[in-house]
Amino acid sequence: MTKRLRIGYVPLTDAALLHVAKAQNFAAARGIEMELVADSSWANIRDKLVAGYFDAAHMLAPAAIAVSLGIGHIEAPLLVPVVLGLNGNAITVSKALFEALLQEAQGDMSNPRVTAKALARIVARRRERAETPVTLGHVFPFSSHHYQLRMWLRAGHIDPDEEVRLVVVPPPFMVETLRKGQVDGFCVGAPWSALAAAAGAGAILHQGTDIVHDCPEKVLAFRAEWVLSHKEEVSALAEAVGDASRWAASPSNRSSLVTLLTSTAGKDVTAAMLERILDTPASTSGSALVASGLRLDEDAIKADPAQALWLFAQMVAAGQTTYSDALAEAAAAVYAPALGPAIPRAAATPVIFDGPAFSPNDIPSYLAALEDGRTSA
Amino acid sequence: MSRDLRIAVIDKNPLRAAILEDGLRAAGHMSVVHIDDTADLLERIHAIDPDVILIDLESPSRDTLEQMFKVSRSVARPIAMFVDRSDAAMIDAAIDAGVSAYIVDGLHKDRVKPILDTTISRFNAFAKLKKELETVKSQLEDRKVIDRAKALVMRAKAIPEEQAYALMRQVAMNENKKIAEVARSIITAAELLR
Repeated sequence: MTKRLRIGYVPLTDAALLHVAKAQNFAAARGIEMELVADSSWANIRDKLVAGYFDAAHMLAPAAIAVSLGIGHIEAPLLVPVVLGLNGNAITVSKALFEALLQEAQGDMSNPRVTAKALARIVARRRERAETPVTLGHVFPFSSHHYQLRMWLRAGHIDPDEEVRLVVVPPPFMVETLRKGQVDGFCVGAPWSALAAAAGAGAILHQGTDIVHDCPEKVLAFRAEWVLSHKEEVSALAEAVGDASRWAASPSNRSSLVTLLTSTAGKDVTAAMLERILDTPASTSGSALVASGLRLDEDAIKADPAQALWLFAQMVAAGQTTYSDALAEAAAAVYAPALGPAIPRAAATPVIFDGPAFSPNDIPSYLAALEDGRTSA
Repeated sequence: MSRDLRIAVIDKNPLRAAILEDGLRAAGHMSVVHIDDTADLLERIHAIDPDVILIDLESPSRDTLEQMFKVSRSVARPIAMFVDRSDAAMIDAAIDAGVSAYIVDGLHKDRVKPILDTTISRFNAFAKLKKELETVKSQLEDRKVIDRAKALVMRAKAIPEEQAYALMRQVAMNENKKIAEVARSIITAAELLR
């Protein structure tokens, strides 16, 4: 018998696998009728999932962990059987900031260390002159976008809390705020950077992958309590996402994928933009490190608890919570690969461009190494 | 008597905001400020320094408000969301109505609940009004389409008005469609065959 699931999502390119699972009938074949409901904020997605308005949701991976751990103001244990993709963010800056960075940069502008050091000089000068601090936008306190900005700033030894202003700007307002000079730049998911660049409001400075290779993005989240009584539906939907991932990663389906996503994306999103946003399937078959776009392939969707721990470590580094073994254990438990599709290979590990190697078994040492990187000149 | 609560209403729909402001004033809340859903939201809120923030659930700015929980330096006083998880009915009613509330931390629940009740009922009243308006609009639209199709049938078959209408109604009944749908098909076909 077909079960109907109400699934909330934010209309971004990385909701792709949900659209594929529905449109290509992968969910239907597993007895799930997907009702996809677009929503306008991550706060809504969280509240409606927690309140039971949604059975499942396309959710920022760190937000799913934060809610489960009760960091922030709502505590509700969630479970993630499958990840919906890796990468896809980009840092876009205003034309004025881009010009200023070009002036200051000593070296290759595609290197985030070079641009971060250039930014540090601009930040210092604005502070000396008591001008408005450099203001950078991201999408949610618990988001990879936020952490990627902090990592970039850290490479320039810029204090993200004292020397610049980090603000949440809803993506639909990003272009306008950039134009008005209310922000100098932002880190946002696809297709918003492409749209800002196409509108002539800013320039894409770095792809998210320049900052973090294989950065966790969105996940498929359920209420843990609901999972207990709906294991079959949860697994069926997660398996359908697995089917969708295999379909999306096949080069022969590439043009169908782009066509489908053009119809689900906003009106200004073109096929050419999507071609640049999506990772090229062939490149992921070799080293994962060459992937520079949104990854939807099978190796990118495994809900590996090590990824949850990596995100938890970024929350601690951002000062959103403090480290404890108990919290780390709870964070790891949010990812439940046993409920998802069986993927024999190990999941991709996120790697920060100038950061220490991450070891899920020793987060305190990793955090100490991150801190050293920040303070050493 | 405690001082009047300052209430900020974030809603891109000025008409609904006005209806809500009116309701809150009627309940004795005189300091209600409507903020348009704009990018410099945090600065606006900082300037107003509200005790209660009411926000349309359709507004993407909810995510900006989320930041206030963390970045207390950008707002004068810490803000909490008005969710008492023991009061599930209230949460359901708020989500159904499409509104969410944030309050200054420590503000007593008894002072906030009537405000949220008013907000929910005004949001619902607005939704009902909007739906009624849409129904009237579509009825008018249907009427126009039916009249046009009727004229086409009258001309094509050289029959009087009542007969043309009866024919269309018969087709609608046979095909289990609305008469306006049949009328639209007739117009489309007529345009195609013109």
